[in-house]
Amino acid sequence: MTHRIASNLIHWPQWITILAFTVLVMAFSPRRGLTQEVIANSGLPNTTITRNEARLFFSMKLGIWPNGAPVQVYVLPDDHPLHREFCTQVLGLYPYQLRRVWDRQVFSGTGQSPVTISSEAELIERTAASPGAVSYAAKPPENPRVRVLTVK
Amino acid sequence: MSVVTCLLCSGAATAADSVWSTIQLHGFAAQSVIKTSDNRFFGDSPETSFDSTEIGINASVRLDPKVLLAGQVLARRAGDMYDGTPSLDYALADIALIASPERILGIRLGRVKNPLGLYNETRDVPFTRPGIFLPQVIYYDKVRNIVLSSDGAAVYGSLYNDLGEFSLTLIGGWPVLDENVQWTYLGGDFPGTLRPNGSVWTGSLWYATVNEQLRFGLSGALASLRYAPHQNDILGPGQTDIVYGIASLQYSAQRFTLSAEYGLEPVKWRSYGPLLPRQKVTSEGYYLQGTYRIRSNLEFMACYEEGVADRDDRDGSEFAGVTGGMVPAHAMFSKIATVGLRWDLTPNLMLRAQYQWNQGTLVLSQLENPDFTRQREYWNLLALQVAFRF
Repeated sequence: MTHRIASNLIHWPQWITILAFTVLVMAFSPRRGLTQEVIANSGLPNTTITRNEARLFFSMKLGIWPNGAPVQVYVLPDDHPLHREFCTQVLGLYPYQLRRVWDRQVFSGTGQSPVTISSEAELIERTAASPGAVSYAAKPPENPRVRVLTVK
Repeated sequence: MSVVTCLLCSGAATAADSVWSTIQLHGFAAQSVIKTSDNRFFGDSPETSFDSTEIGINASVRLDPKVLLAGQVLARRAGDMYDGTPSLDYALADIALIASPERILGIRLGRVKNPLGLYNETRDVPFTRPGIFLPQVIYYDKVRNIVLSSDGAAVYGSLYNDLGEFSLTLIGGWPVLDENVQWTYLGGDFPGTLRPNGSVWTGSLWYATVNEQLRFGLSGALASLRYAPHQNDILGPGQTDIVYGIASLQYSAQRFTLSAEYGLEPVKWRSYGPLLPRQKVTSEGYYLQGTYRIRSNLEFMACYEEGVADRDDRDGSEFAGVTGGMVPAHAMFSKIATVGLRWDLTPNLMLRAQYQWNQGTLVLSQLENPDFTRQREYWNLLALQVAFRF
């Protein structure tokens, strides 16, 4: 059985132009909202964090706090509702984008992936117990060894 | 005294503990089944081939927030092209010199993956690919080693500001070659050996918007190969110079991702003697690909790709004429339309199915299809894959 694929079906320069234009318009339209909290181990001096810093920490591209302490990232599974909310609302990234970045780093030897924890309660506990830990929670946790970071 | 010793001990133990706690092990294993209407692709596909297996395991450890050691072993069975012998995929030390939220600068030493296009660095990891096979006109599986990795050093840097991220990576080193390279760049398995002629240079420049919705990249490699003839060889001590450039664009939305890449590869041959005259040929390829996430664990993919061996002879007719029909025109190009489905049963287990309509045989391995006269211009492919990761 044979199929003819007509090459002139696709005039690719035009397609690229249309694609590039659509993409540019959509790429610069901001996403809004902020309900979840970035939390960190209370041993850290920080009380605020920029959104860019949050993105770099959670995408595992930056592994060091300004005071030199190593960053330890804890996250929930990709399909957990809180993880999805946090990614889109706070980081401005879709969970699959984060996964793509982690995988690229893990499987090319250029980085590591965060530690995945199955429940929010344990996420808070681990953040309280590890110096340099950063994570997230649905609301400010009661735990005194965990601090909420304001995202600027 | 004993108190001091004890304090020292506990300090050392804590430091060692924290290093131990950064050790990560990851891996993957995938098996594919391939059936083609005609032509051999990853084994005896006309009879249904199981000769496509990918297994990888890696380990990494953070010695310090700024120092990462990482290595991966890869075993890959791919028809007649690769027999599954494990090889060192990468092994490197990554040292960050500057690590701040505004800029990151570092070096990598060892065997590093070359950052070509959207996928080259993780091209053998099924979960990171948009399909069972990457678009072949950019990521040729028949010749992958020349651009896969380099033994050398890399410098990388990123800048972050309100516009997004700008990243640059430059790599200098030696490529790892095998007989697939010889078949592709010399058109046969000759008695002599093809070796890297000096170092290979690879570089990439990427721009991503703040939330990585749009990514645009330019990447390329410069390589030179030297042929050392065997006694009574029909080829002379020739040299092949290769330039490979790729422009990449990717747009990521909640439901869909659009990717497009264009690749250009001018290759020069000289001093091989009368059998392989001095010449310069530029091959070209591009693809447009869309993936749509029906649910978070179910993804549909469609792709169209075109590649030509010689951009001045797009339909291959000139070359077919020169060779008196020995090499048919359709061996000089490939046009491929693909549809596929990805289903992540669990975060660790993935199933894939893919169907391709092919015109032309450029993407076929000559090692697998040495007889041009038996290559069919129109052929279809069905592939299924199961992949596991940890």
